[in-house]
Amino acid sequence: MAKRSDDIAISQVLRPEFIFFLNGKLTKEDSLRFLSGKIHELVKEIIDYKTLYERLVEVDKLNNVLESGFYIPHAKFKEISRFFAALALLPGGFYDEKSGKTVKSMFLLLSPNKPHFFQKHLNLLARLSGIFQTSFIEKLFSFKTPQEVMETIRNLESPAI
Amino acid sequence: MNPNPQVQKFKQVLVLSTAMLTFISFWRAASVVLCDFGSSAYYAGGIAMKAFGPAFPWYIMAVMLFAGIMLMVYIESCSMFVRGGVYVVVKHAMGKVMAKFSVSALVFDYMLTGPISAVSAGLYISALLHNVLPLIGADWQISNKFFAVIFGVSVVAYFWKENIKGVEESSGNNSKIIGFVSVIAAVLLVWSLLTIYIRGAKLPPFDLHFTGHALGWAKHVPWLETIGLFGIFMAFGHSILALSGLETLAQVYREIEDPKIKNLKKAVVIIFLFSLMFTGVLTFLSALIIPSDLIADRYADNLLSGLALELHGPYWAKLILQTFVVVSGGLMLVGAVNTSFVGANGILNRVAEDGVLHDSFRRLHSKYGTTYRMINIIAIMQTAIIILSGGDIYLLGEAYAFGVLWSLVFNTASLIVLRFKNGESEREWLFPFNIKIKRIHFPAGLVFVFAVLLMTALMNLITKKTATISGIVFTTAFFIVFQISEKLNEKKARIYAEAEKPDEKLNLREESDINTLVPELAKPNKILVPVRNPNNLVHLKQVLETADDATTDILVLCAKIARGIQLDREKGEITMEDRDLFTAVVLMAEKYGKTVKPLLVFSNDPFHSIAQVAQTANVDEIVLGVSGTMGAEIQLERLAMAWGMLKTGGKDFSKPVVAKVVWEGRQMTCELT
Repeated sequence: MAKRSDDIAISQVLRPEFIFFLNGKLTKEDSLRFLSGKIHELVKEIIDYKTLYERLVEVDKLNNVLESGFYIPHAKFKEISRFFAALALLPGGFYDEKSGKTVKSMFLLLSPNKPHFFQKHLNLLARLSGIFQTSFIEKLFSFKTPQEVMETIRNLESPAI
Repeated sequence: MNPNPQVQKFKQVLVLSTAMLTFISFWRAASVVLCDFGSSAYYAGGIAMKAFGPAFPWYIMAVMLFAGIMLMVYIESCSMFVRGGVYVVVKHAMGKVMAKFSVSALVFDYMLTGPISAVSAGLYISALLHNVLPLIGADWQISNKFFAVIFGVSVVAYFWKENIKGVEESSGNNSKIIGFVSVIAAVLLVWSLLTIYIRGAKLPPFDLHFTGHALGWAKHVPWLETIGLFGIFMAFGHSILALSGLETLAQVYREIEDPKIKNLKKAVVIIFLFSLMFTGVLTFLSALIIPSDLIADRYADNLLSGLALELHGPYWAKLILQTFVVVSGGLMLVGAVNTSFVGANGILNRVAEDGVLHDSFRRLHSKYGTTYRMINIIAIMQTAIIILSGGDIYLLGEAYAFGVLWSLVFNTASLIVLRFKNGESEREWLFPFNIKIKRIHFPAGLVFVFAVLLMTALMNLITKKTATISGIVFTTAFFIVFQISEKLNEKKARIYAEAEKPDEKLNLREESDINTLVPELAKPNKILVPVRNPNNLVHLKQVLETADDATTDILVLCAKIARGIQLDREKGEITMEDRDLFTAVVLMAEKYGKTVKPLLVFSNDPFHSIAQVAQTANVDEIVLGVSGTMGAEIQLERLAMAWGMLKTGGKDFSKPVVAKVVWEGRQMTCELT
């Protein structure tokens, strides 16, 4: 398939240092606070933590847990001009009441709130939901390091991108 | 197969189908109307001749010209109501009681259309057999009237069965019939002109010679006949049966394809020209060629056969032409029987939708989806009328005009009332001759038409005893049935106030897998339109306005949230809200004359269902209405996530699918790749 100008790879927006293995018993709120705290490090000059977290919670009211148990908290901000992402793998998982699913992996995405980024933002969401199926998430748990996870994602994406 | 069975979220797919979602061309619509409207050419002249003598062709011609005016009246009423007709128009103008009276009269007209057409066809065939069989040595002793009754009953039985199957195939047959009749009419016309050229001709007289029977109660008021205008209206009233069939136009209008009004106008022009030439001109030529005493003695029951036999030329050639006339007449007249079924069924459906006829009448046939109980009633009544008439076409003709005339009187009066009540903004077309007085356009043209109709109807009341007595009895009986039905429906809590919302009978077909629908989507382009709220169909409206029906399948999907549906044993049920939604969808599709395929799926994630249907059906576009709770951006995000999750089955997604969220005056578009 030809590469389209709005195509964007997960490996283009996710860096290994923002891939986390979260062991132990965590709630949805704990996990979201953890990841949003980490990603805030990257945007703290332009967005305060409270605004970031509240926006994520606001968008999440409409439920972003997919049928596969993959959770994509996301929000758009006018202040940023590129994508920021963080991935958490939760072997213990947490139960999401709204969807009735156990979440074992979550991907936090911040996108620029600018019209020409919207198509890329949608493509990225579609790509994430396509790749992070139940079997793929289970496979990621077998890795020990973020680099291995990143490499697997990159390998999976390479034929398409 | 679903590419990813683990994420299939719905177990049940309901396909909603009604026969009314198939749209027909203006030619087909015209042919449906003409099979009724044009068929009067075979008997109207003979009946008028019997009533008031050799002046009949002038009056038949006048009625045909007047038909052009009435067709224009119907364009205005159709432009106001897609599901229109006398009942709807009168109800909006004068209320439900008057509407029930007018529709009762119209049902009486349709109940007679079938018998008069079937009996007339039988008389034409029998007359031909009397000519042909002795030539091959056969002794044909069966009387014309007896044969006509047997033939008539058989035709009604045939079309009863056909209408149980549905209207679509019937309208196809009508087109073929009208095509064939046009060829025979052209031959008759040319040959008649040649005959007149060779023999010469004298114009028919204008003076009227009413029989005692044709004067009815008016014979006790001898001065009436002496006043020229009354005499003219009496004769016009005896010829007005040639006008029957106009209401079929209103019934067929909902099925006319996009662009509706433009196609309606084309249909009207075809109907007018055909009936003017066929009924008006051929009746006139018959009077020019056949001596009037011969018409009265031999050809009153089969005037056009008489025309064929009295042309200039060898007998064998004329006999061949008579055979073709009888075949064409047989086809057209039996077509009129079909049209009477379609028309009566349409009217009864309309009143039943309004709660005026008991709901049990509307039960749909399990296989064909037609309102079979109504069709059964029509067939039984038409059969009874044929048997009771004993094959006497004059008797049927005498009774015939009551319904058509009074329904036209009510219809035209209502349009005048609506001009003042609703203003002129709702109409795409106005009947001409409107006089502007300050801010109001006084409908002078409509008032003139109404005056002519009312005068004719009143004259018929006193001159056509059979029509008056049988018409009043039948109309009253039907009115009582409507009244009782309405009371029964009210008891069932079908409250009167809700009558403004038509209660569409939806035929449901259950499928376990969306893949079974794919072969039904044969058009090159496909648009998926998810719907949820009957008051938020702006996006569907936009699709219906812009999509080309010939090249685009429009799937209208309601993804209904039903928790726990993933369990095999659970099944969703269609609710009143779903019916309201799909009734709104069907009405809108009818308004634009475009075919839609409504689907209802039970799901625990509507976006997942939308994506799954879109990918399975390989749609080109998904058009959503904006959600008040989510907003367009979040809707597209949810759709994109569902799209990506399902996109793992090896399908070719090289062509992006356009996803739109549409709201008043705006839209947001993206691509799903």
